[in-house]
Amino acid sequence: MDMKKFDELNYYEILKIPMNSSYFKIKQAYKDALSLYDQDSVPTYSLFTREERDEILKRINDAHSTLIDDNKRAAYDRMLVDSGQVEAPISFRTKQYQSSMRSSGSTMADKDRLQSKMKEKFSMESIQNLSKELFSKELLSGNDLKKFRKALGIDIMEIYSITKISISVLNAIEENRFDRLPPDIYLKNFLKSYAKILQLDPQKVVDGYFKTICLSHPADG
Amino acid sequence: MAKIYPIGGGKGGVGKSFITASLGALIAKWGKKVVIIDLDLGASNLHTLLGMQSPNIGLNSFLDKTVQDLESAAVSTSIPNLFLISSSHCYMEIANLFYAHKVKIIEAIKKLPFDYVFLDLGPGTNFNMLDFFLTSEEGILICTPEPTSIENSFRFIKTIYYRKLKQMIKKHIFNSLQKDFSEDAVKPGTTPSDIIEIALKHDPEKEGHLRSQLSKFKFKFIFNQFRNNLDATLGNQFETICNRHFYSFFEFLGYVSFDGRIQDAIFSKTLYVHRYPHTQSAADLKNIAAKIT
Ligand SMILES: Nc1ncnc2c1ncn2[C@@H]1O[C@H](COP(=O)(O)OP(=O)(O)OP(=O)(O)O)[C@@H](O)[C@H]1O
Ligand SMILES: [Mg+2]
Repeated sequence: MDMKKFDELNYYEILKIPMNSSYFKIKQAYKDALSLYDQDSVPTYSLFTREERDEILKRINDAHSTLIDDNKRAAYDRMLVDSGQVEAPISFRTKQYQSSMRSSGSTMADKDRLQSKMKEKFSMESIQNLSKELFSKELLSGNDLKKFRKALGIDIMEIYSITKISISVLNAIEENRFDRLPPDIYLKNFLKSYAKILQLDPQKVVDGYFKTICLSHPADG
Repeated sequence: MAKIYPIGGGKGGVGKSFITASLGALIAKWGKKVVIIDLDLGASNLHTLLGMQSPNIGLNSFLDKTVQDLESAAVSTSIPNLFLISSSHCYMEIANLFYAHKVKIIEAIKKLPFDYVFLDLGPGTNFNMLDFFLTSEEGILICTPEPTSIENSFRFIKTIYYRKLKQMIKKHIFNSLQKDFSEDAVKPGTTPSDIIEIALKHDPEKEGHLRSQLSKFKFKFIFNQFRNNLDATLGNQFETICNRHFYSFFEFLGYVSFDGRIQDAIFSKTLYVHRYPHTQSAADLKNIAAKIT
């Protein structure tokens, strides 16, 4: 009992969102929660056993699947109120709602803008061909990522504003300046976030990029 | 009464002494009366970080009664309002400190007539060090952003919990359980949760009491030697995780950026925050000092 049980938290607490969060916000919070408890996550990888982690991830999945379903969510909310786990005076809810809007406003808008821009691009044949050409190989270098990003018309600042990965790191990734990269466990997470924006398979990008790094130092294998 | 901040965090070389000296100097400069105590017995170096020779009086003078109270063992430093209680003449390692001496020091620390008291603790997690950390409920953990250091911090928190529990048992709160907690009942592989499980098996009603004791801790933590190519959300993530999964309250005080000149300043026996007051690392330290005063 030196650690709290995760099941003492309700679904909103698990996702760290207010009770009146929008569908989009729930989705976003779900992704954030998954990455926080991912086996590569720096702050948690050493804290849990495999079973504990699986249990937590299952709770997160339950939270997500309940909250994105309007009927299930209504029933769940009613249960929380009825069992006295939350109070739900209107004023409290509106206040929380406003503050959550303020804090997450800008990145959300950035993301939306980017998503609509990319939708068009992905339907273009030239982009599809480029994607095949660049990402069908086993190895993947920073130049490939950069080329693809540019073809999509995404500025490096846009990647920064969504992921908050510093520009110097983004440049080091794209220019294969391996000596300037952060430790592996950070790099993995960075590559995954980058890949998600370009709608690439995150694991493939990580594997391909790490292979390229390995080849560049044959000595330490 | 003084606000006491023990500074610890398991791993060696993460920057505990540097941060103790820097925060002490900054807060003293703001007009508060501050004393920093070097409790890294056997490996003390706080005087060096302050650019001083090893002082002639210190903790030893208090223990051998050369001075009459702990306050008189404090020497002034080059910074007005900042005092140091050195342990440079204590040749005994902290792990071997006599029980009676430890108790005497802890009781005296609690009575020191200063505004702020910082305890610079050494590396490791020996019992004496943990007891000094437990002098206050607002200990500050220092770690670096490496995964191994974070792992160490979790271990440190659990060890503190376990030690606190033992202290509570010593205070006869769990009278009937004493016998289960003799030193040999605690085998090396025993985890803190095992200990607590044993306690609860004997007396399930105590669970609430235990939890409420653990929830009194307000741990603070600092990520030192931070480089700007790292994930800047790490501090907040760590805070979220700790608040969620441990029973105590955790506050992330901030990052202290890596700066190679820190080592240069230490080598040339000058205080970094004075020599380079306008660097990022100095600004980071000032923010942290402001948060805890
Ligand atoms: N922010 C920083 N940037 C660069 N170097 C740093 C930083 N903080 C500390 N250091 C370096 O780390 C070294 C160790 O720091 P310090 O002696 O404060 O660690 P410690 O945690 O007290 O170690 P110990 O556990 O051995 O007492 C210092 O000599 C200094 O050069
Ligand atoms: Mg030290």
